[in-house]
Parts: sequence; structure tokens; C-alpha cells
Amino acid sequence: MPRHWRWLVPYLFLIPGGLWLLAFFVVPMLVMASVSLQTGSLGTGYALTWNFGVYPEMIGAWAPQFERSLWYSIVVTALTLAVGYPMAYTIAFRGGRYKSILLLLVILPFFTAYIIRTLSWKLILADNGFVLGNLKDIGFLDDGFRIIATPIAVISGLTYNFLPFMVLPLYVALEKIDPKLVEAATDLYASRLQAFLRVTLPLSMPGVFAGSLLTFIPAVGDFINSEILGSRDTTMIGQIIQRLFLNNNAYPEAAALGFMLMAAVLALVFIYARFVGADELTR
Amino acid sequence: MRDETQIERAIARAFRPQRRLSRRMFLRQTGRGAVIAGSALSLPAILAACGIGPGASTAPSAGSQAALPSAPAGTLDFANWPAYIDIDEETGDYPTLAKFTEESGIEVAYTEAINDNEEFFGVIQPDLAAGNPPQYDLIVMTDWMIEKMIRLGYLSELDRSKIPNFDANALDLYKDPWYDPGNVHSMAWQSGITGIGYNPTLTGREITTFDDLLDPEFAGRVGMFSEMRDTMSLALLSLGIEPEEATVDQATQAKDKLLAAAQAGQFRNFYGNDYYDELANGNLAVTVAWSGDVSQMKLYDNPDVEFVVPDTGGMLWIDNMAIPNKAAHPLDAHMMMNFWYDIENAVPLTEYVGYFSPVTGVTERVLEDAETAEAEGDQEWADALRVIAETANPTDEVLANVHNYRKLSEEEEAQWNDLFNEVVAG
Repeated sequence: MPRHWRWLVPYLFLIPGGLWLLAFFVVPMLVMASVSLQTGSLGTGYALTWNFGVYPEMIGAWAPQFERSLWYSIVVTALTLAVGYPMAYTIAFRGGRYKSILLLLVILPFFTAYIIRTLSWKLILADNGFVLGNLKDIGFLDDGFRIIATPIAVISGLTYNFLPFMVLPLYVALEKIDPKLVEAATDLYASRLQAFLRVTLPLSMPGVFAGSLLTFIPAVGDFINSEILGSRDTTMIGQIIQRLFLNNNAYPEAAALGFMLMAAVLALVFIYARFVGADELTR
Repeated sequence: MRDETQIERAIARAFRPQRRLSRRMFLRQTGRGAVIAGSALSLPAILAACGIGPGASTAPSAGSQAALPSAPAGTLDFANWPAYIDIDEETGDYPTLAKFTEESGIEVAYTEAINDNEEFFGVIQPDLAAGNPPQYDLIVMTDWMIEKMIRLGYLSELDRSKIPNFDANALDLYKDPWYDPGNVHSMAWQSGITGIGYNPTLTGREITTFDDLLDPEFAGRVGMFSEMRDTMSLALLSLGIEPEEATVDQATQAKDKLLAAAQAGQFRNFYGNDYYDELANGNLAVTVAWSGDVSQMKLYDNPDVEFVVPDTGGMLWIDNMAIPNKAAHPLDAHMMMNFWYDIENAVPLTEYVGYFSPVTGVTERVLEDAETAEAEGDQEWADALRVIAETANPTDEVLANVHNYRKLSEEEEAQWNDLFNEVVAG
């Protein structure tokens, strides 16, 4: 390749990924945008009528489920962080030669399909199943007590399912930290807590940020945990979109909801980035 | 999808070792219960629905007769509901299907792809609307969906000369039905009733009517169906309204009634097939239920449960075999349909699935098989067969108190869906 073409090389490398994104992200997005603005029915077909009214209409109809999804996901992200950070920290700094095994254990649940893992919880925690049933038998729990079909079950299910997405980026960030920096901090009379707060935690922020995004974004749109572990009162927006698409064949409404969900997630991620600081990511 | 279903069965099996199930029932049971939202939740289903979406600008003109080839193709893609055909629990094979293959030389790709009429329709609709050859040659859909698909021109007409067994052996109830006059597009597979299933030891009393489901005494232990037509129709009946004739205003009344109860926390959840396990294991005291399920549950999972047609009325549903437009192997599909209307094949099907059979004489044959089993010393199987014989056909008394679904226009259907969505999503 002639020397003056060399500037092209990085762009050539972008072509496969770019085409992939074009075919499987940009085009579907445009189709969705078009569908959301169409009106019609199965019998008469659909035509693009620029029906922007569907957006406020859908917000009006499904605001509670929207709010609930966002709220659940924020709680789930906080919980995975609270549970995942000590896990990742322990593996990174105390794992020693067991690091690989411990990491394998973290991703081990992925060897089973998502739906099946979730379904298992429904069976394990059934009202009279082998956990709750026994606790009820010894009088530890009231007979009417249940976990399945409550918000706790849905949030716990989401937390469980997304935990590895939080732990892995955290581990990567923590593992990169040079222990000598912590040593240096303690040499300069920092307590262990101070060393953690001033050295380890700031250096691990890219992991916190990445883990939060990887947890929050899929959790908002999740419809499996609520469908299997929840009840009517835990209905999340993903279930609504799924129902509108498949059960009601209400394609424009479902597409509009999908778009608004994406917009909401983008907005929240943007705000989050401002707070945590996107510069943390590039550090 | 099939793989997923089988894996789910396996996991459900692993978690329920304590359940007293005959081997025969075990497979079908875990299949039915564990399928849960399997296909509903599968990514391909959603991609299939949104990938093509409402691309077709017009529906094809009314269904036309498939131009049948002179010889069968030798393969058939058959989509059916889970646990809706006889299965050999030892091998996982389908004995009666195997017999068909032996007789006709046609290999059947049988998939349990259907968990819900609307969801399955959502998956195949884009192809049908676009006029593409569908993935399946033969599908089993409930009467109201058959009516809708005929209206949309999605089903091909049947060639009567290829299905003589239907005219010879079908019971009158299944001939010339409301949803497909003259059986131009469909033939019944099996049928049953949507009513109430309950566990008297948990309710402490007999359940007789739909309003018992709304009794605050059972709050949080009541199941409802997430299927719009069944739930709305039973609620309409409880208001003294004939579902077939119901207006949108009346549907709104039914919605209000259901919504008030839902908001008061009356219902544990809105279920698909998975209500079965919840009733069998006692999480639900009383629930909307399908007749065949409850008789099977009584036999194999929970002897306490009872099925009742509410005194305000139940819904009669008929599942039908039909051939989608442009199916690749229509003659093979006709041969399969004809095959099931031979009593020799209808009997093992009924003895396994336990729903109403559309074929004449099945009850008598099941009773004969019970005698044989008894003579051979298999008392348990003989008893089971006698129960199945009892429910293989609806009695006149039962038929007097069941109703048909309304033929909803597209506009009405959208309105009813909107009403019902309010009920199921809190």
C-alpha cells in the first residue's frame, strides 16, 4: 500500500464492525422508527402516517410500568454493586492462585440458560417448596408468607442474574491497581480505610461505571424476571412491549415504547456519566 | 424452541423428585408446567415479530385452495402445543406419529412450538402477511384464532377428497362450526372447556360460580388467565352477558369488575400454561382452568382438585388443525389430518391427552381398553382410562352451559385488548 494511503488503515479496520452495526443496529432502528409512526391494522395493512401522537399516548398509558422498571433497575444496580464490589475486591486482592477458579465460579451460572436459571428460583422458592415449606413447617414463617409473586422476588432475580455483569468489570479495574500504590498510601500514614477511599476506590471507578451500565441497561428492559417471578403488580415495561408486539400485534405502539425506553436509558446514562465523570473511563 | 422446552422439562424434573407421578404422566406434566413462558420469552420469537413487522401493505385475498401436488413430499412440519400428543416416556418418541410415518412414508418434524395462540400468531404473522411460505405445514390453533386467520386470508382451503375420514367419523359438534362454516379451512384436533379449577381443602367450600374467584376470603390465592378472550368471556358471563353478543361497553363493564379485584390484590397473577403447577402445588386455591388439565391433575398430581363449569357459564373451545397459506407440503398435511380421524389413531391420542375427542366412538373404545387393562391386572391404568372415558366427550348437561367466543372485528379486538391490558398490567 502506498505510503500516502496509510491513514486509511484504521478506517479499514472499522469497516467490518461498521457494517455490522449498520445492518443490525442502524437499519432496525430506522425500521422501528418508521413502524412507530405508522397506523393501520393486520387486515388493512400499515401505512406511514407520521402519527407522533402515539408517543404521548403510550407514555400516558404506561407511565407506572416505566417508572417501576427504572426504579427496580436502580435498586438492582445498587444491590449488585454492594454485593459485587466486595466479591471483586476479594478475588482481585486476596484470590492468590485461586483467582481463575473464583472467576470461573462467578461466570458459572452463565453455563445455564437465563430463563432456566430464573425458572429454578421459582421452583426453589415456591410457597410450599423445599425452602419455604420447611421454614413454615418449623413455624419460623407464617403460612401465608411468600416470596414468589412479590417485588422482592423480581428485584432479587434481577440482582442474581446480573451480578456477574457487575463483578467482571469491577474485577478487571481492581486487578489493574498496583498494590504498591496502597502500600505507598499506608507508608504515608493513611489508615487502611483512607487508603481504600483515596486510592483503591477512585482507581476502580471505571469498573464501577462499566459494571453499572452493564447491569442497569439490560435490567430496565428485562421482562423475564417479572414474568416468571413477579405478579401483576410488578409488571415491567419490557413485558408491556412484548405483550403489545406478540399478543396484541400492536406494532406501532410497541415500537414507540421501545424507542422511549431507549431514550430514557440514554438520558439516565448521560446524567450518570456527568456525575461519575466520563473522564474516569478514559483514565 | 424445542430444545429449550426439553431443557426446561429436565430442570423441572430435577426439582420435583418428590412428586408422585406415573412415568407416563411425568413427562407431559413437566412439559406442560415448565414450558411456562418459554416461547413467549424467546428472543427469536420477538425478533421474528419485529423484524418484518407490518411490512405487508395488504393482506392476501381470501384464502385459496392449496394446489395439491399429485404425490406427497415425504416431509411435514407440524407445530402443536406442549404435551398435546401421545409420547412414549421411555424414548421420548411419538408412537402414533411413528405409525403415520410407517404407513405413509412421510417424516414428521413435530415441534411443540405453540404456547399461546396470540404469541404463535405474532411469530408466524409476518410471513403470512408478506405472502412468504410459512415455516409450518400444519398448525393447531383455537377456534377464535382460526376465525381470525380465515378472515385475514391466512389459511388455505382443504381438499375434501383428501380427508374422507373427517366426514365419516367427526362428531356433529365439530362439523360446520361457528368459526369455520362447512369446515372449509379447519378440522378439530381436541377440545375442552374453560371453567374453574379449585382445591376444596384450601377453599374449605364448594365453588360454583365465577364470583367465587372474587371472594376476598381467597385474596392472593386466585389465578386468572393472561389470555384475553377466556378471562373477559367468563367475566362477561358472570355479569349475565352472552360473550358472543357482547358490545364494547359491556366488555368495559367486565374490565371494571376484573380491574377492581386485581387492584384489591385478589389475584396472585395472570397465568398461561403455568397455572397448572400453581394449582397442583397449592399456591393457588382457586383459578380459571382448562377442563382436561384438571382431570389429569386429579389423576396424577393432586387428587384433591376439582373442575367446575361456573353456573354463570363456561367457554367451549375447540383447537383445530389448519394449513397456512403457501405451506410447502399441503398434501402431506391433508394426509396427517385424515390420519387422526381414524379411530385407531384417535384412541391412543385421547388416552394420552385426556381432552374431548372429535372422533365418533372414542369413549367406547377407551372403556374397552380399560376392561382389557383390568383383565391384565393393571388396575391403576384401568382406573385412569375410566376417568378419561368420562371426560372424552362433554355431556349434554355440560354443553347446555357453555358458550362460544365472540367474533371480534379488528377494531373491537384492539379495544378489548386495550381494556384487558389495563387488567393484567398493574
